[in-house]
Amino acid sequence: MATFELYRRSTIGMCLTETLDEMVQSGTLSPELAIQVLVQFDKSMTEALESQVKTKVSIKGHLHTYRFCDNVWTFILQDAMFKSDDRQENVSRVKIVACDSKLLTQ
Amino acid sequence: MGTTTTTSAVYIHVIEDVVNKVREEFINNGGPGESVLSELQGIWETKMMQAGVLNGPIERSSAQKPTPGGPLTHDLNVPYEGTEEYETPTAEMLFPPTPLQTPLPTPLPGTADNSSMYNIPTGSSDYTTPGTENGVNLDVKGRPSPYMPPPSPWANPRLDVNVAYVDGRDEPERGNSNQQFTQDLFVPSSGKRKRDDSSGHYQNGGSIPQQDGASDTIPKANFECYALRITSVGDRKVPRDFFCSSSKIPQVDGPMPDPYDEMLSTPNIYSYQGPSEDFNEARTPAPNEIQTSTPVTVQNNIVEDDEELLNEDDDDDELDDLESGEDMNTQHLVLAQFDKVTRTKSRWKCNLKDGIMHINDKDILFNKATGEFDF
Repeated sequence: MATFELYRRSTIGMCLTETLDEMVQSGTLSPELAIQVLVQFDKSMTEALESQVKTKVSIKGHLHTYRFCDNVWTFILQDAMFKSDDRQENVSRVKIVACDSKLLTQ
Repeated sequence: MGTTTTTSAVYIHVIEDVVNKVREEFINNGGPGESVLSELQGIWETKMMQAGVLNGPIERSSAQKPTPGGPLTHDLNVPYEGTEEYETPTAEMLFPPTPLQTPLPTPLPGTADNSSMYNIPTGSSDYTTPGTENGVNLDVKGRPSPYMPPPSPWANPRLDVNVAYVDGRDEPERGNSNQQFTQDLFVPSSGKRKRDDSSGHYQNGGSIPQQDGASDTIPKANFECYALRITSVGDRKVPRDFFCSSSKIPQVDGPMPDPYDEMLSTPNIYSYQGPSEDFNEARTPAPNEIQTSTPVTVQNNIVEDDEELLNEDDDDDELDDLESGEDMNTQHLVLAQFDKVTRTKSRWKCNLKDGIMHINDKDILFNKATGEFDF
C-alpha cells in the first residue's frame, strides 16, 4: 500500500527522520528498518489526522504561485490568513503542498 | 476521543502508534531489539520537545529511560536524567566536566608553544592542562574561555594606522595623511619614507606588509608625475587641494580605493594615476594616461570583484529568500491532501483535508480546510 511521504516534512516527521538518520549513521539501526519505520509513520500520521483531529480551518490569501505536478498541488500564498475555531494566524508567506486524496484510497 | 485533543497529544499518539507497530520488526527476525526501539522513541520525543511541539511530561505507561545512545551524541540528544520535566540542557549536561569527550574542532599543533605564549589558548586547552585547575581559562570545554589571548603579533596595535595608503577608514586618518602628503609632494620621488614615524614597520623594498588590513603598501611608487593638483580621486571628482593622486593618498571615501592603491603599490608602475577613467581633470603627464589605460581597467575589475562582495544586496532579497527558503527550513508550511481545486478567472478555491500546518512557529492540525485565493 502506497503512503504519502509528505508528512515526513512536518516537524514530527523531520524529528523522526533525523533520529533515524543518526541511528543509521551510528550503526544502531539498519537502513531497511529505518525505512520501515518511516513508512509506518506515514500510515500512522495519516490515520491520526483522519481520526483524531476535528479542526476546520479556512485559508485566504493572495496566490503568488501555483503548481500542479505529479498530482501534487503546490501553492505559495502571500499575506495569508488562517482562521480556525478559536484562533487566527496571519503570515506573510506560506507554502501549501497538497497531495491528491484520491490516490490513497485506491 | 476528547474534544480538545491538542496537537501535542496527537503527536504523542502517533509516536506511540508507530513504535508499537514497528516493535514487531525490531524484536523478531533478528532485529535490533527493544532497547534500540526505546532509544528511537526517546530521541524522537526529545527532538520534538526541543522543537517545541511536544509538551512534557509525557504520560504513558512505560517510563522513559535515558538511553546512552551513541558515545558522541550522548549528552546532546538524550536528557541528562529521566525526563520528568524537560529542561534546557545546562552546561554541565551538555559539556561534562571531564574534558575528554568533547571533540574540539582543531587542536592546535604544538599547543605547548602556544600555551607558553598565550597562557593556554582557547581551543587547545584540554591538551595542555586538565582544564579544571586553571579555572578561568577553561570553564567548559567547547565554550570560549573568558581568557582572551593577547592579540597576535601581526596585529600589532602599536602600528600606526595612519599609514596612509589605507582605505581612508578614518577621517582623521586621512586628514593626517593629507598633511603628510603635502609635504611629500614637494619632495622628489623615489622612496618617500616620510612615513617612518607613522609606520614602525616601514621597510625599504617595494612591498610593505599591511598592518592595517587594507590593501595598501607604502608608496614606493615613484612620483614621476608632479601634478599636485589632481582633483579627482578614485571614482570621485572631488577637488582636493594638494591632493596628489599618488599612492600616498588614501582617498578612499568611495568604493574604489583598492585598485588605486594596489596599482600604486606595484613597483613596476611608474606612472601613478587615478584608477578610474573619469579621473582626469588636471593631469599633467599626458603620456601616463595612455600607458595606464590598460592597467586601470584591470584594476577596475579587481575593484569590481571587491564591490561585488559588498553589493550582495543587489538581488531582490525577498524573492531570493522565498526560493531558497523553500528547500530549507521553510518558515510557514502546510502539508495536506486536496479533495478539489478549482479556479474561476483569477479566483482559486480548494478543499483540503488532513493537514499539518506549521505557521508562526506553531503546529496546527486540521481535518478540513477551505481555501480561497486570488491570483
